[in-house]
Amino acid sequence: MTLSQRIKPLRVRLLMLLAVVGPGIITANVDNDAGGITTYSVAGAHYGLGMLWMMPLVALALIIVQEMSARLGVVTGKGLADLIRERLGVKLTALIIGILVFANLANTVSEFAGVAASMEIFGVSKYISVPIAGVIVWLLMVKANYKTVERVFLAASAIYLAYVASGILARPAWGEVARAFVTPSFQFDAGYVTLFVTIIGTTIAPWMQFYQQSSIVDKGLKISDYAYERIDVVVGSIFAVVVASFITIACAATLHTSGARIETAKDAALALGPLAGKYASTLFALGLLNASVFSAAILPLSTAYVVCEAFGWEAGVDRRLQEAPIFFGVYTALIVLGAGVILLPIQSLVKTMMASQTLNGVLLPVILVVMLRLINNRRLMGRWVNGRWFNLLAWMMVILLILLTVILVLVSLFPGLLGH
Amino acid sequence: MAYLSELVGKFVTDLNGERVGRLEDLLAAPRGDVGHPQIVALAVKHAGDLLLIPYEEIAVLIAPAIPLKHPLAQIAPYRPAEHDLFLARDVLDKQIIDTDGVRVVRVNDLEITRVEGLFFVANVDIGGLGLMRRLGLGKPTEKVADRLGRKASSNSISWEAVELLPGDAPMRLKAPREKLAEMHPADLAEIISDLSRNESSKFLDALDLETVADTLEEVEPDFQASLVEGMSDQRVADLLEEMAPDEAADLLAELPDERSKDLLNLMAADEAKDVRKLLAYPENSAGGIMTTEFVAVRPDLTAEQAIAYLRKMASEIETINYVYATDRDDRLVGVFSLQDLVLAHPRTPVAHFMHERIVTLEPLDTQEQAAQAIAKYNLLAVPVIDAEGRIQGIVTADDALDKIIPTAWKKRLPRMYR
Repeated sequence: MTLSQRIKPLRVRLLMLLAVVGPGIITANVDNDAGGITTYSVAGAHYGLGMLWMMPLVALALIIVQEMSARLGVVTGKGLADLIRERLGVKLTALIIGILVFANLANTVSEFAGVAASMEIFGVSKYISVPIAGVIVWLLMVKANYKTVERVFLAASAIYLAYVASGILARPAWGEVARAFVTPSFQFDAGYVTLFVTIIGTTIAPWMQFYQQSSIVDKGLKISDYAYERIDVVVGSIFAVVVASFITIACAATLHTSGARIETAKDAALALGPLAGKYASTLFALGLLNASVFSAAILPLSTAYVVCEAFGWEAGVDRRLQEAPIFFGVYTALIVLGAGVILLPIQSLVKTMMASQTLNGVLLPVILVVMLRLINNRRLMGRWVNGRWFNLLAWMMVILLILLTVILVLVSLFPGLLGH
Repeated sequence: MAYLSELVGKFVTDLNGERVGRLEDLLAAPRGDVGHPQIVALAVKHAGDLLLIPYEEIAVLIAPAIPLKHPLAQIAPYRPAEHDLFLARDVLDKQIIDTDGVRVVRVNDLEITRVEGLFFVANVDIGGLGLMRRLGLGKPTEKVADRLGRKASSNSISWEAVELLPGDAPMRLKAPREKLAEMHPADLAEIISDLSRNESSKFLDALDLETVADTLEEVEPDFQASLVEGMSDQRVADLLEEMAPDEAADLLAELPDERSKDLLNLMAADEAKDVRKLLAYPENSAGGIMTTEFVAVRPDLTAEQAIAYLRKMASEIETINYVYATDRDDRLVGVFSLQDLVLAHPRTPVAHFMHERIVTLEPLDTQEQAAQAIAKYNLLAVPVIDAEGRIQGIVTADDALDKIIPTAWKKRLPRMYR
């Protein structure tokens, strides 16, 4: 084989890769939503670089779960909710969908809360910012086709680089950062344990597996695209975790050093101003806005996919409103309700956030076990079932995640459990 | 009739009364001649394994616990054939797509029907009620719907309306879904004949008069009679007016004389007259099975005028395949088909293209003779004339063949012969 023959396929392969990437990167990035950013900010502000060592593990866990979800999608050509309905029957489907819809709604509420918070930093009232954001994400989905929507989402993913810039502007001591990544440490105080569990617990949320698999199916990816889709998943997961690390670094280098206490991502953005300069603060706020709007589109979309798959109704971003009325109906309902709750004169949404976290926590073990059972089903997956070692790793990780999630649920149900 | 979801999970017991296990699935084999798969075996969870029990070993399928005919040890397990369907595993919850590939709904349940001692998959339940039933909420849902003053109607389509694609692929509708919205009366008839009498009269109450009339025409007269037994005289009289006179006469013949007379008195005079005439003939004679709805024109009409007349009459007439030419005294002088009429020059008089050699029946000819005439001359209908040559009615192919060909076969004849 001559050199030119070898190079040409390489170019072709690169183009193929670019055509396939999307679902993995988008899903992983939405994981850094308003709630995620808050978690990572608090981790940096309160514990400095002390939690960075977890990040590689988080990335690994994310890759393992999302790879299985991608494989299920390309091999079966069906969404996760499709498979659950077909393999596990109506009762389990109804239970899972019921909880998921509620959890996703609560999550959507918190995304719109993120929109409100980030725009308030720029002095824009939530009564202006939230309706505008709602209309924008609604129009995007209803008017644009899959390709456009995916491009917009990928662009939104790129905006996460704002956090990397914000981290660099915060001038951390790079030597310490590098050391922190490879130095495991643990503290046995309630705040630390809660945060530890939250970081892992929020990294792998049930909606992600549903969304990624559905969008892979909606995009029409086949088993022949699997090699590229795996790259999409790995790159997306690593990128998302790098962004999360930089959020922690930015807050560690500034807020932790000065001893500031924060509760929310908005606090973090405001506190960054005097410490790291106006730009770091603005970038942080823009990042939060972007993440919130982005997730406010993805979560309702994920819910719409799930509901339609479970009942067998037509779904797909490429469909017109009349062709998939229920799909767009569910999407619209979640946006209207999500944005509507924020506009009500309710002071604290902490309970909603807690509820969504608890529901996600209850659901996650079920979903992960279901996924593992599906992916190891030879009738369904043929030779694409998990390999022996991968399976062992996956089960171990799933059991670990379940344990952590149980702790997270207990803590959110009984806040005093770990002491004060 | 039973639903798959209600059968699955029931205990199966052998002749000694010992529990074999819970019913896990039903196996059905596609049958080329019927179009509905036939239940051939039960899959029972037994000692951690799936035990396949042949259908012949089952004493009663639709029962609180399913009894077998022999002790378990004497039963040879069923060997599945290549095309056997595991209904719960392979069909239940399957995606149904439209002819253009658009997803429509999922298989919420399957209706199993007994026909001559065998069980078949009759219909595919795609309604919300089916879904609620799967969740164990079927009865409460009906109650709530009742209280709200609405009928929780079950929504099913015939198995024959969907095509099962091989492997893991979805089921495809054979006709676009808009067309399925309106079920054919024959399919409705199939459903009500599967229901208990109490259920079916409730079912009929929910339909409009015209649909009930059409549906009744599709079921056997003795069953018709039992269906209208509980209805008020006024409603039955209205129904009889809607029905074709020959069908109405058949139904009246099945009812007690007293009620039959009352009903005739309640009916509008015109319709009652036709029906009375038909009732005068024995049930299985040409006169008894003929209909008085046919089109007759004068032979001096032009083709153009005849078509205009047909258009005006078509809504009231059962069959217009043949048009009869009669003279001033109603004597039959010719017949022509719709084809003859359409192909004729608009100005040509009917007399020029009508056929004058006509196959006819007399009112007291038997149904067999009617069927033979229809089969021999390849006709869609034969006119019945009295001794003076006056046309009394026509016997259509479907009515003539009714008793001779079993209903199951008739259903598969092309629709135009029905």
